[in-house]
Amino acid sequence: MAESFLLKYVHDPGQAGLEGYLSRGGYEGLRRALRMAPAEVTEEVDKSGLRGRGGAGFATGRKWKFIPPDPGVIKYLVVNADEGEPGTFKDRTLLEGDPHRLIEGIAIGSYAIGAHQAFIYLRREFHRARRLLERALAQAYDARFLGRNIQDSGFDLEVVLATGAGAYIAGEETALLESLEGRRAMPRLKPPFYPAVKGLYMQPTALNNVETLCHVAWILARGADWYRQQGPPILISISGHVAAPGVYELPLGTTIRAAIDAAGGMRGGRPFKACFPGGSSSAILSPAYLDTPMDYDALAKLDVPGSMLGSAALIVMDEATCMVEIVARTVEFYRDESCGKCTPCREGTIWLSQVFDRILHGTGRGDDLDLLAGVARGMMGTCFCPLGESVPPSLNASLRFFRHEYEHHIRTGACDVRAVA
Amino acid sequence: MTDAKALINVVIDGRDIRVPQSTTVYHAAKQAGIEIPIFCYHDRMPPLGACRMCLVKVEKMGRLQTSCTLEAADGMVVSTTAPDVHAGQEAMLEYLLVNHPLDCPICDKGGECPLQDQAFRWGPGRSRFVEVKRDFAKPVSLGPVLVLDRERCILCWRCVRFGEIIAGDDALKGFERGFASEINTPFTLPVQSKFIGNTIAICPVGALTAKSYRFIARPWDNRAVSSVCTFCGVGCAVHLDVRGNTITRVRAREQPAVNDIWLCDLGFYGQAYVGRDDRLRRPLVRRDGALVETSWDEAVDVVARQIRTAGGRAGLLGGGRGTNEDAYVLGRFFRTAAGSNHIDHRVDLGPHTASAAVPWGMTMPIADLAAADVIVLAGCDLTEEYPVLWLRIKQAVDRGATIIAITPKRLEIGRFIVHHLVHRYGVGAEVLAALIGGRTGRRRIGQTPGGVPDDALEAASAALMSASRPAVLVGRLALDAPDGVAAVDALLEVCRRLGTSLNVMRGKGNEFGAALAGMLPDHAPGYRRLEEGRGDLESAWGEPVAGAPGLSAPDMLAAAARGDLSLLYVVGADPATAVPDRRRWTAARAALPFLVVQDAFLTETAQAADVVFPALVIAEKSGTVSNVEGRIQRVEAAVQGPGEARNDWEIISLLSERLGRPLAYSGWEEIFDEMRRMIPGLEIDHRITARPPHDGFDARGPTPEARVAPVAGDYPLTLIIGDALFDRGAMTARSPTIADLAGEPWVLLHPDDAAAAGIADGDAVVVESAGASVALRSRVSDAVRRGDVFVPRGFDATPVNKLTDGDPRVMVRIRALAAVAGSTGGT
Repeated sequence: MAESFLLKYVHDPGQAGLEGYLSRGGYEGLRRALRMAPAEVTEEVDKSGLRGRGGAGFATGRKWKFIPPDPGVIKYLVVNADEGEPGTFKDRTLLEGDPHRLIEGIAIGSYAIGAHQAFIYLRREFHRARRLLERALAQAYDARFLGRNIQDSGFDLEVVLATGAGAYIAGEETALLESLEGRRAMPRLKPPFYPAVKGLYMQPTALNNVETLCHVAWILARGADWYRQQGPPILISISGHVAAPGVYELPLGTTIRAAIDAAGGMRGGRPFKACFPGGSSSAILSPAYLDTPMDYDALAKLDVPGSMLGSAALIVMDEATCMVEIVARTVEFYRDESCGKCTPCREGTIWLSQVFDRILHGTGRGDDLDLLAGVARGMMGTCFCPLGESVPPSLNASLRFFRHEYEHHIRTGACDVRAVA
Repeated sequence: MTDAKALINVVIDGRDIRVPQSTTVYHAAKQAGIEIPIFCYHDRMPPLGACRMCLVKVEKMGRLQTSCTLEAADGMVVSTTAPDVHAGQEAMLEYLLVNHPLDCPICDKGGECPLQDQAFRWGPGRSRFVEVKRDFAKPVSLGPVLVLDRERCILCWRCVRFGEIIAGDDALKGFERGFASEINTPFTLPVQSKFIGNTIAICPVGALTAKSYRFIARPWDNRAVSSVCTFCGVGCAVHLDVRGNTITRVRAREQPAVNDIWLCDLGFYGQAYVGRDDRLRRPLVRRDGALVETSWDEAVDVVARQIRTAGGRAGLLGGGRGTNEDAYVLGRFFRTAAGSNHIDHRVDLGPHTASAAVPWGMTMPIADLAAADVIVLAGCDLTEEYPVLWLRIKQAVDRGATIIAITPKRLEIGRFIVHHLVHRYGVGAEVLAALIGGRTGRRRIGQTPGGVPDDALEAASAALMSASRPAVLVGRLALDAPDGVAAVDALLEVCRRLGTSLNVMRGKGNEFGAALAGMLPDHAPGYRRLEEGRGDLESAWGEPVAGAPGLSAPDMLAAAARGDLSLLYVVGADPATAVPDRRRWTAARAALPFLVVQDAFLTETAQAADVVFPALVIAEKSGTVSNVEGRIQRVEAAVQGPGEARNDWEIISLLSERLGRPLAYSGWEEIFDEMRRMIPGLEIDHRITARPPHDGFDARGPTPEARVAPVAGDYPLTLIIGDALFDRGAMTARSPTIADLAGEPWVLLHPDDAAAAGIADGDAVVVESAGASVALRSRVSDAVRRGDVFVPRGFDATPVNKLTDGDPRVMVRIRALAAVAGSTGGT
């Protein structure tokens, strides 16, 4: 069994401060990186096999290689700390428990791509993380891990901490950039606005997730080979009806069943009914899929459209859960968080949620299930960004696995699940 | 960018289509005549991809694609008719319609509504929607022009993007999110825009409507008549929509060379004066001290007799509001039958200003503004004077052009101006001279001409000299300034060094047509000097023409005041409010034996006339007009005039017949033909410009030193008089929307000066010069420098020309009208 390192110190008192961080080998990764050529740093990250931990799972090293090396071009590194996917809370854990790790990762990443300004786009509600980050940034400046001529390497880096305004869509990378530039968070058109080409202020920009950059700090500190031997690990946010919800560091490819076991098993020993393997944007899986490994490919290859690892937010539900209510709640979330830019997302989510309201209030109609599927079908492949497309997977999966619950609601106007439980 | 792009092949619906690289699939299809429905895409803005209506299927691409955002690639195979394309389009229309009120029968847009048309053509036909539709309070007033119906809005973002991309005024923005998204103004204040009418034009539904047009007509009631807006000098092409004999609304008519597809709000909403009840319907003569209605016969008789007795001591002022043909016939009549060269359309000319010394108009085409790399605005308040030209310059800015502005007032477009040198009034020439390194010996390091810092000057100077496609525009705030002549001199030097010519942004309406047609004391038609053109005029007209140049407008007033003029004939102008110095007009009128006014309204000047002829306005006329770039455009009569009002040239025909020298034209075409024989190159849609100003510019005018005499004491503030797009003149005060937009007449003053006088923003104040005063509303802003105050002209009920005393530099003081200093008025 590989050693746990991402979460190793997050609960240690003092880890959020510079002294504690340095006493446990902090900033060794940055020191090492600064002795390497920037391209070698990127190569090291590429070799580690690290894939972005924001949800899309794109290879981090490859992402950095898209940034033009020309030193005459202004480049930025932007940290997506707008963790908002329902069920996901791993970045918050890292931000509050190990903020210097993130700063180290930022400095390494910025050095690798040649950015002299980096931005942390922090979720508005993370007040504690903000306080800790502010302190950590000040400490890092004082200790010359940031600022001019970092550790006498000749490399300069300024890090700006910015907060969002409470919109889930700002977690989408181009909407994040719009918001960071001071505008309404709405996603940009790709092409031409790929962040690596035309990102923040129209300059090439590397956008990385908090966890990803923490991995980077470890990779540079211990080397790519060591990192690969560790699994590699990922952080899985396990929530719902498990005995011990929380963030768990498990090797990529751990099965859903094993992950639930790691979280103490099902709450009260009740039978497992369903789960979201990768946050509310992924499809819902039934007990038949419990032995699926939690890795990028295995989940994506299932016969359930929209199944994915995403941000590895495992939301577990036991048999006392009404699936109609779960999906209704999910739809409501996307209804409220749709930015309003494109038609199918803006109108499809409100329509779906109106139909769900009717069903849950006992005025469902026989053809409502076709209507739900039809409205969802119109949203698939037509939305501007992934937000709207996140609705159909869980809806369709629930219609497939738990259709009888919908039918019961429509037929009787009441829920049979809780009665049983 | 001018490189011819490589052609690529795409297949759309089985047809091979060759298009240049980087063409979108939507445009490629359109080129082949294949229609793809769209809402959010507008071809004057970059693609957005928000409405998701223009879906197509592309081979080898998994999901449906939006054709407005997708660049065609070589070998791409596209279907616009595949079953899943239809399903997708139906889904989008269904989504758009579920929360749309479907109140088409009472919607202004009904009948010309893209949503209605596309739902009919591409929609599913029946709805599966049984829920409650989105419910918003409506309508929402967003200012004097705009009304928003949020339920009808399909959130295509066109109006928001118009303000961000085309006009740069950010007038409308998106608020809330998701299904609660709505369009509103920043801080929900009334719309701050001069171009908001365009958002109504490009709204694909009836969400944005105009207060002036709500429930007035259905599209099919309207007859569209081609005309040209002649408020400012841009000459935007318009459609006047007419129902019965009423203009119901104005729309932009596509004219790539001038306004493209846009108008300003003055153009959209300034036409209401045409149908006003107080239009003049019959001729008036003064009888026992009062103006009374009379017959044409009698009025013409009286005027003809006076012209005969004047024997050449007659002057003609105005002519800039009619057609080219009106102006030509007026000029011909005056030079022959009246025997006088005292002809001048420049009613508002100051006696010793640079405006008198340079020919008005642009030397470069309007369209070239968009390609300029450096744009100089010297005393030119672009958005107040020639608003639609700003839209061209905005395009240049978007392409990286640098604007250098040298003005005594910070311009509204300030945030797009890289080098904005805001100077004290009266020293603009010094700033301009410094800009080209022509520093006078008086200036030392650290000194700042007009308060402009050295480093700002140097940066602007470097930018100026780097220009490869310059556009140099001088406007009235420089031309009519005390140092206007020196400013023009400096600008001509700038132009010489940059190898360009100066654009003189002076003149409104059809003043350029008036100048072209010869309504100048020293010029024959076609911008020929009178001594050169005289022989041709005599042989064409078969009558003698006096050779000596006549008097200019200010000289005519001086002559009248001296008793040297027997008759003044004013056409489509109101010198009482328009001349720079009201006292000169009053003196001239008092000494003048006979005043004839030909106008649509009983203006202040007309009230003092001996005979008033009722004239038609441009919307009632057919003929041609010219704009600031000298382009000749056609206007067609949209409505019939009131009562017995006539064309200007028809009135002149009556007079000349009475004088025994008939000018019997059958219509405007015959006049135009006569003009064409006289003016080479005169054709519809061609440009004829005056010679560039540097040919024979006379810089021996009054020097700034002679006039810059700081006056402290009782009148410590320098008065700047300038233009405001929205004012309350003879026409605009009678167009309710414009009068609303204009609001009360105002004075702009610096916060320090306001504080010194105990004045707060919005206070009722009095501005006084030595001998006159006007009551105004204060606007406190650092857009002017300390010591300067700005008052707009054009508010006829509060004529600012009362304050002037003949000197281009006018000193004033300002005090709060309310007894309690610092109160915000409001009573």
